[in-house]
Amino acid sequence: MNIVVGVADMKVSNDPEKVLVTYSLGSCIGIAIYDSVARVGGLLHFMLPDSELDQSKARRRPFMFADTGIPRLFKTAYELGAKKNRMRVIVAGGAQVLDQHGFFNIGQRNQAALRNILQRNNVMIDYAHVGGSANRTLRLAVRDGRAGLKVSGQGEQIL
Amino acid sequence: MTDLRTIIKDIAKLKPIPQVVNKILAIQQDPDSSMEDLARVISHDAITTANLLRAANSAYYARPKAFESVQQAIVYLGMDEVVDIVLMSSSAKNLKHPQKGYGLKAGDLWRNSLASALISRELSQKLNMANSHLIFTSALLKDIGKAVLGQYVWASTKDICALVEGGDRSFQEAEKNILGIDHAELGAMAAEAWQFSPEMVDIIRHHHQPANAALARQETVVVHLSDTICMMMGIGGGSDGLAYRFDQTMIEKLGLSDEDLQVVMVDFAEKIDEIEQLIALN
Repeated sequence: MNIVVGVADMKVSNDPEKVLVTYSLGSCIGIAIYDSVARVGGLLHFMLPDSELDQSKARRRPFMFADTGIPRLFKTAYELGAKKNRMRVIVAGGAQVLDQHGFFNIGQRNQAALRNILQRNNVMIDYAHVGGSANRTLRLAVRDGRAGLKVSGQGEQIL
Repeated sequence: MTDLRTIIKDIAKLKPIPQVVNKILAIQQDPDSSMEDLARVISHDAITTANLLRAANSAYYARPKAFESVQQAIVYLGMDEVVDIVLMSSSAKNLKHPQKGYGLKAGDLWRNSLASALISRELSQKLNMANSHLIFTSALLKDIGKAVLGQYVWASTKDICALVEGGDRSFQEAEKNILGIDHAELGAMAAEAWQFSPEMVDIIRHHHQPANAALARQETVVVHLSDTICMMMGIGGGSDGLAYRFDQTMIEKLGLSDEDLQVVMVDFAEKIDEIEQLIALN
């Protein structure tokens, strides 16, 4: 059963029947994590790099921002028995419109925020498909951790 | 290569915009017109009245009590908002179909158009611009050309995508290169055929290159920015992805800050459930 993760949304599950999927990642980033021993998977779709923008909105919608969303993704998976050192991490998105520079380039800023947070927490990225100007769809099967990536205009590849 | 005349002839296959829309736009542009004039025109058209009340009573407008008449809706929401709602429901039928050429499922083009129109209105209010209805309508119809060009893009997908993936062309430039015309130009021609104002035609034609707009440049920049925001947020995004040019110089002239831009995205994301209900209505 497909569980859709919308913009500024997150789902974590240990139900093997579930497939977590997030559609149409533009400059937003999707991050999928999976522990194959605990069989726990999670998927976050965040939109902006930094919750400094509006703390009260970040409390209401923590999955909107990288710095409030990513820690919650991991913590929720830990609550279901996942362990950091067994986690496979896949990221996709962070695209940009052509000729976009400086503060408008939110795709690139999202990538930087993501890498910073993961690095600070000693989490390695196993697979990344980021940047460029394509839309991406990311899916994760909770049963076996198989992840699928669909880039706009192309077929789905299994990661 | 498909004959350009064949493509242009297909504009006639679009569902005609109902007469009531032109009447409403005329009322809105006439400084002497009143709420009563607007109410009369809408009330004479049963379908438009029903669509207006359905949308005005949706969760998006969050009214404590349901509107029962056109007059009531105009008094509470204001003329501009009511005109926007009527335009919304009359545009949906041309934008709801799937567009294989652009990798859009049924409803995607409509979702993108409506989101872009709502974001445009937000931006125009932030910038205190006078003609937010012109901006709203133009944003709503800016991609109407995709509804005509979609089948031709599909037939030439490989060639168009190869040009885009080559890295130095936008999707629009690739359309023009392979098919001889792009969706913005075709959309402007449809707007002309429907006798929309020259300003609206100008905005639709140049929404990817706002610096080329001659009649309504600042309005075109706003539509360009709202389109960019929708692409970034992936709202109704298709196989053309984010492969369009961004006119940073023109956008910077609007004077919006980094924070302004992000707040628009956050506010929109917060309302997304209500907006989905509005999308589903039409």
